[in-house]
Amino acid sequence: MIQHFPVMAVMLLFLGAFLVAIFGRISPVIRDGIAILIATISLVLIYALIKPVMIDGQIISYWMGNWEPVEGYAIGIGYEVDALGLFFALLVVTTFWLSGIYSLGYLKKDANKMHYYTLYLMLSASVLGLVLTGDLFNMFIMIEIMTFASVALTAFRNKQAIALEAAFKYLVLGSIGSSMTLAGVALMYRVCHTLNMAQISSIIGGEFNLTTIMAFGLIVAGLGVKSYIVPFHTPAADAYTAAPTSISMIFSGMVNKAGVYGIIRMVYVVFRAMDRSSIQILLVVFGAVTMFIGVTMALAQHDFKRLLAFHSISQIGYVITAIGLGTALGLNAGLFHAMNHTLFKGLLFLTAGAVLTATGTTNLDKLGGLSKRMPVTTVCFLVGAFSISGLPPFNGFASKWMVYQAIYTKAVESGNILFAIATITALIVSVMTLASFIKVTQAVFFGQENPENANAKEVPVIMQIPMVIMAVLCVLTGLFYNVVEKFLLAPAAGAALGVSNYIDKMMGAGYAKAAGITDIEAAPAAFSFWNPLVWLLLFVVVFLGVYIVMATSKSTRGRMLEGGEGYDPKYATFFSGEQEEFSQVGGSDLFWGFKTDWKGYYKVLQGLHSGIVTDYASYIVMGAAIIILVMFICLR
Amino acid sequence: MFNVLNIVLLLVFVLIFPGALFTSAVGLWLAGVDRKVLARMQHRIGPPIRQPLYDFLKLMGKETIIPHAANKTVYLGAPIVGFVSLAMIMLFIPVGGFVAVSGSADLVVILYLITIPGVALIVGGSSSGSPYAGIGISREMVTMMAYELPFVLVLLAVARKVGGANLVFSMESIAAWQAANGSLLFHWSMIPAAIAMLLVIPAEVGTQPFDVAEAETEICEGPLVEYSGAPLGLFKLNTAMKMFVMTGLFTALFMGGLRTGIVVLDVVIFVVICTVLTILSMTTIHAVTARLKIEHLFKFYWTFVAGMALLSLVLVWFGL
Repeated sequence: MIQHFPVMAVMLLFLGAFLVAIFGRISPVIRDGIAILIATISLVLIYALIKPVMIDGQIISYWMGNWEPVEGYAIGIGYEVDALGLFFALLVVTTFWLSGIYSLGYLKKDANKMHYYTLYLMLSASVLGLVLTGDLFNMFIMIEIMTFASVALTAFRNKQAIALEAAFKYLVLGSIGSSMTLAGVALMYRVCHTLNMAQISSIIGGEFNLTTIMAFGLIVAGLGVKSYIVPFHTPAADAYTAAPTSISMIFSGMVNKAGVYGIIRMVYVVFRAMDRSSIQILLVVFGAVTMFIGVTMALAQHDFKRLLAFHSISQIGYVITAIGLGTALGLNAGLFHAMNHTLFKGLLFLTAGAVLTATGTTNLDKLGGLSKRMPVTTVCFLVGAFSISGLPPFNGFASKWMVYQAIYTKAVESGNILFAIATITALIVSVMTLASFIKVTQAVFFGQENPENANAKEVPVIMQIPMVIMAVLCVLTGLFYNVVEKFLLAPAAGAALGVSNYIDKMMGAGYAKAAGITDIEAAPAAFSFWNPLVWLLLFVVVFLGVYIVMATSKSTRGRMLEGGEGYDPKYATFFSGEQEEFSQVGGSDLFWGFKTDWKGYYKVLQGLHSGIVTDYASYIVMGAAIIILVMFICLR
Repeated sequence: MFNVLNIVLLLVFVLIFPGALFTSAVGLWLAGVDRKVLARMQHRIGPPIRQPLYDFLKLMGKETIIPHAANKTVYLGAPIVGFVSLAMIMLFIPVGGFVAVSGSADLVVILYLITIPGVALIVGGSSSGSPYAGIGISREMVTMMAYELPFVLVLLAVARKVGGANLVFSMESIAAWQAANGSLLFHWSMIPAAIAMLLVIPAEVGTQPFDVAEAETEICEGPLVEYSGAPLGLFKLNTAMKMFVMTGLFTALFMGGLRTGIVVLDVVIFVVICTVLTILSMTTIHAVTARLKIEHLFKFYWTFVAGMALLSLVLVWFGL
């Protein structure tokens, strides 16, 4: 029974897409009902797999149409769910389910909701299929569906020019990525005569020849485009900004995680290249550059969602750096940060959507002082912001600390100065992330109120629920990091490192041994810091004690200056919401002190992010060329 | 972990020694010494050393005015968050020979906890809705970015020096290492890091010339502009506590291991060293310099100070 669950979860979502397209016209209730019902069933089916896969350590395999291997060659499409795939599947179902709930409230004013839900289910199905499949070509198909559903959803609000522009860029650049993946898959088929990932892994056995190096490079570059690592990050900023916020959340929560999953699956399981220091350095360098460029670009942004988009890029840099270390601790750290990124970035996008709903803009220069009007959103935003900045006791602290520990341990063990630089980069990027979120806090929720938003209201409960759920998850995963480590991270990391079980389950017991596959020893990740629960309790006790005394003692509300109610754009607002002609410091330009020192750097970055799609296409080709070149030099 | 005795002990640690009460007392003492010595350097008599205590007590009794535009919870909560986290940091720093809490990675916990008072100041100032506070928090944040890089480099250099091939982020092992091999300050490769750390202290505390965030003459104390009464008093106390926490961290990192074995005497020596460091790193620099501009501050920390710390890290990396 249980082996049908993964494939049912994917098929139901595809089926749901068609059902919505056919019956969605009848009434809005049926349309929304089908979408949410199907998403919920899919969620339940995937969550039901936690016990057998994560705790009992089973691997679930399923041959489509019962086409089992013939004469030792896998000819059918096989689904194979190990702990690594399930880990990402859990992120995927959680994200799209919450996004679906949020959409109910968020899309009030949009037309064509039927198209939205059709594409939403398509996108969800494709990403879920991608992380559950055991077949290389099926993975490519899912990437294609994912890309085109994403393109269409980016252009969903097609009355806005930016939506069409973003969708066009995404289409061109995403297609380049897909083509590279396809070329790589074709080469692998030529070499191995099979498309089953488990079998490919045992056939090539971690050895490389010229064809497989080329294929490896192409596939990794293609997946890099999907996970938006620098220099492939360019479509992300526009797409995240232009898409409806519930979809931005899906993009950052699961679409780029699908790319990360693909990279982990390729480098650890299929090509088994992570014991080579050249591949480790390649990934760590790409990761470190990604996190640094992402965060510095974010510091310069003036739009809430665009800023979050660049932070998404930056945080994926952490994940790539951590998984690129090739150690059990690094893999644990990378997976943990990927999970936390899904939670806090999803939460931040939802709060951005709430602000957009309440005020009609995400421009940081036009917002300010919303904390009194939107208390729930403000608290959720602060939880998300503190989590992404890595302040204790939120989840970002636990995972970032794990990342630092993993990189620095690697640096000390290998004696390679590059890893030490990566450690310092990671720590500095964390401070810059904090700085950037302080800016948003000041420009959107605190600071002076913009009278244009005086009638902003808190969003409806249906939109608050997903935000609160994610905020609670951010706190819980930070406090109970050891539970997460034991039940989710350790099995997933073990699955990525223990390849022979993966192969045996698909191809029959003893197959891996016959092919001479040995597992990397998955040493238990030595990871400990403090007991956050005791500290939080203590913190809360002391805080409440002092706060109650202070809040109940005598305090007076201040008055506004006479005439403060009238809106004079010159004097009324200064730091958030003021107009450029009155001040040399813009409301969202909180860090000009920092930016003047970095003028040269920003000039270069600005030049590179030209917005011209041919430039971006050339970066992708260049990035792919670098990856393939490095692989040719190092792996031969 | 959860038995009653442990909880009571932990509460004593947090509330009395070496937490809130002790840290506040020493912090106010250091602030008083700072003002007195500064006055003597400028050829004034200066206030009595207990003046910061009087100031604090007076502010606690004053009326608290919450600005019209402010969010009350955040506005009142911010100084308390800073206060509690500062009291907690002291639990991780070995005061003399006394270690309240020991973990494998307390150095990183300290690194993060130490940013919280700064964040609290920023969020509190931001919530007051004043444009002066807006400029102040922007400067505070840039200052944080400026000193964080050298600070991280110093901590990495210490961890590498003490740990060798094994990574050591534990304050207790750092103290033990220094007890066996002599204070880190007397290892020549660590001297640049010590200088960098001495320069990080005034920026973290926010004393002249690095007080751009609170520049009274330009932006009316920046984040604190709207604060009054008890929350203002708490913020002033936070600054005093930061003096002790930062000099204490320096003492533990670079001059640990100087122990007589008698806890009380060790604590007294520890406080004396902190006082000397306060005069050295804050008062003297304050007396001879004028306030920097924010962009100069940033450049100074990312070039000179970070360079010093990096020098140490590179030296230590090659086993010197």
